Amino acid sequence: MMKNLLSLSFELNRELMTTLRLTTGGVCSLAGLDMDETEDCKVCVTESLLLLMHGGYSSARVSFKEDGGLLVLIEAEGEKKEGQESPDDGISSALLFALAQEVNMEKENECLKAIGFRFVNNGR
Amino acid sequence: MEDKELFRRYRETGDIALRNEIVENYLYIASVIAKKFVGRGVEYDDLYQVAALALLKGVDRFDETKGLQFSTFITPTITGEIKNYFRDRSRLVHLPRRVSELRVNLKKVADEFMTETGLRPTAKELAERLGVSEEEVVRAAEAGGVVSLDKPVDDEDAMSFYEVIPTEEDNLERIENRDVLESAFSVLTKEERDLIEYRFVQEFSQTETAKRMNVSQMYVSRMERKVLNKLKERLKKSLVD
Repeated sequence: MMKNLLSLSFELNRELMTTLRLTTGGVCSLAGLDMDETEDCKVCVTESLLLLMHGGYSSARVSFKEDGGLLVLIEAEGEKKEGQESPDDGISSALLFALAQEVNMEKENECLKAIGFRFVNNGR
Repeated sequence: MEDKELFRRYRETGDIALRNEIVENYLYIASVIAKKFVGRGVEYDDLYQVAALALLKGVDRFDETKGLQFSTFITPTITGEIKNYFRDRSRLVHLPRRVSELRVNLKKVADEFMTETGLRPTAKELAERLGVSEEEVVRAAEAGGVVSLDKPVDDEDAMSFYEVIPTEEDNLERIENRDVLESAFSVLTKEERDLIEYRFVQEFSQTETAKRMNVSQMYVSRMERKVLNKLKERLKKSLVD
């Protein structure tokens, strides 16, 4: 059964990234992911948030669900302002696809609005 | 020359100069991705080297006629190589050991900070002094300090902490044996020996050591970790031998 582990909204700024990375580490531990998967998940969460930040959003909601692993959903919240695309955005997207499974990018009017991905628990 | 044209000409001619030009154009991707994997117990320089090598190999495998951007193609390739590297090599650099070392330094630096300023340091201030990320400081501070004596030292040898803790009669004597130490020091470069002299004989701070060596404090911090690991590995090998 899918279990909602945690859901939180927060302002998108770089100073809160460390807090969220640590939170992600704790959640991954609860979901039984190993050290490598946990570090990969932290990278994916950070990259997703950077993509939304560059897209012009100022806040986001991050939800973690346990489902034989960890499902992560990161949704933009609030009003969208003019974004500042970074040359590294392409790398961020490719990293997400390389590290996580079932990566899903939801767009609204051609703009990225939400990112979902899954980490499978490797037999723990 | 545009990248697509560069790839096409390289494919046709096999000219190494063209390949090098492509690699140089995309080395930033190797750097960006390597940075994403820092903090897992492997130095950035090593990760960058793995990433750069993956980039080099990727140039030969890329087919520009398939319509894919090279950056889109190479990112998963580099990521995969770095992950393989972690699987193959990171077992030699144990995260728990690194964390426990950081915990020891954390205490020392926090004490120094309080002596100097009369204030308790924040994670950010400790991170700056230790030359590590704020996140590593928080993780090290959270890590438990109690370890079972029956717990294996690492994954490779099944020896427990109990078995490797030196006793007065045997191992301690051997560790302290001058020959062993001299042999261990012989693997260090002059710069590394200078660092040991400044930090552990004269007991200078990392900042003071950095001034004397004409390098940054962060460089000293990184080199110190590297040197101590090198010495530990050497001493451990001496014990086994």
